[in-house]
Amino acid sequence: MVSINYAFKEISCKIVYYGPGLSGKTTNLQYVHRKIPKSSKGELISLATDADRTLYFDFLPLNLGEIHGFATKFQLYTVPGQVFYNATRKLVLRGVDGLVFVADSQRSKTDENIESLNNLIENLKEYGYVLEDLPMVFQYNKRDLPDVSEIEELEKALNPRKLTYFGAVAIKGDGVFDTLKCVTKKVLDKAKGKTPITRKEKIYPEMVEKKKELKTFEEKEKVPITVGFEKAEAYKEYQPKSDKAVVMEASPKRETQVQQMNIEKPKEKTKKLAKSIPEDKKPSFEREKIIVAKVEKTGKFSFLRWIKNILNI
Amino acid sequence: MSDDRLIIYEEQIDKINQALQKLIKGAEAKCALLVDKDGYLITRQGFTHTLDTTALAALLAGSFASTKEIARLVGEPEFSVLFHQGKRDHIHLTLVGERTILAVIFDDRTTIGMVRLYAKEIGESIVSILSLTKESKEEENLSLGSEFTQSAENKLDDIFKD
Repeated sequence: MVSINYAFKEISCKIVYYGPGLSGKTTNLQYVHRKIPKSSKGELISLATDADRTLYFDFLPLNLGEIHGFATKFQLYTVPGQVFYNATRKLVLRGVDGLVFVADSQRSKTDENIESLNNLIENLKEYGYVLEDLPMVFQYNKRDLPDVSEIEELEKALNPRKLTYFGAVAIKGDGVFDTLKCVTKKVLDKAKGKTPITRKEKIYPEMVEKKKELKTFEEKEKVPITVGFEKAEAYKEYQPKSDKAVVMEASPKRETQVQQMNIEKPKEKTKKLAKSIPEDKKPSFEREKIIVAKVEKTGKFSFLRWIKNILNI
Repeated sequence: MSDDRLIIYEEQIDKINQALQKLIKGAEAKCALLVDKDGYLITRQGFTHTLDTTALAALLAGSFASTKEIARLVGEPEFSVLFHQGKRDHIHLTLVGERTILAVIFDDRTTIGMVRLYAKEIGESIVSILSLTKESKEEENLSLGSEFTQSAENKLDDIFKD
């Protein structure tokens, strides 16, 4: 599981964020990427569709620095949450050391959460892993939205083993670091040989207050929020497109491509010109150049053959 | 599951590095990386200074994993060789043993045939290097101690402070 490289004095652990589609797995990683000092992180890589939905995985390497002579590294992965991407989702779980289950707290998403958790157990089985053996943390995300399930309800539905959980608003960063810190500690404890399962309750007081406010607002106005509106609002807030880190990574690559194309254009032109002149009418030095160019291109073996041809061996 | 833990020792890496150097010289490749199937970089040789090898290792392992699934769907146990052709640089991937992937990056100075030839030969020697030390070192256990976790926790607090 945990990879230990004695030659480079390196310990690497793989942490996977699992959960249903649009529950906030990528948002978790994006927040971590934004907030962590440059020296401790690598590039955030997203294999996503044009609509910014994860297609294969997101990848963020974290460098904890040297601990007792070992460079300790964490590799954070997310899975594609959408049901029909199960083929690729399964592949990300290979060699996993720790899991974060990001659940969507909205009442309408309860079934999706349960389905995703069952899918996780099934996919782990295919690698011969048992969920109970892996360090795992629950994150109940989107606590700021209206009509979210109570923590107790979510616990009852998803977390019968009473593992550590955190309430979170990943888009604002609430609970993101706490979740990550907890899972990394658990993974390192496991690597050491111990697996203490401790229960730690932490719900953000601000969030609870907010929820109360929303409730009273609903009671006062007696205007139920329609499902369609709620979904649209949730999606609007959830658009990962707004994240600058991703956009900034994409743009320099495009520029370099354009530069390459510009350089290659004149080359093609000269090639075309060279082709348009019949072999016999070309000046002799030109022909020699072409032959030499051909030899350089095809490598040393044909160069030998060419010399052999000339010498008639 | 602890049997799955990948542990690599210094003498192992030295031998693998020598083998990779031989490959780079013989096949005139730019660089060679040995990547674990889980996405970890085991070692690298050649011109890799401009490459983000951590990300490269994760992506190569990912692409190999997805190819394995494609193979399964068409009724093959595994595609053991993968080749990505670019305008200037190309990548040749070979499965080495059960859990490592040998990636060779090369350009037009050499040919795919040469790379394939050397990758196969060096791949076999890497398998024997990996299996040799696995047997001899199997009983050695890792002891990180409680101090390790404590300092790790402190580091985490440092990095994760808002």
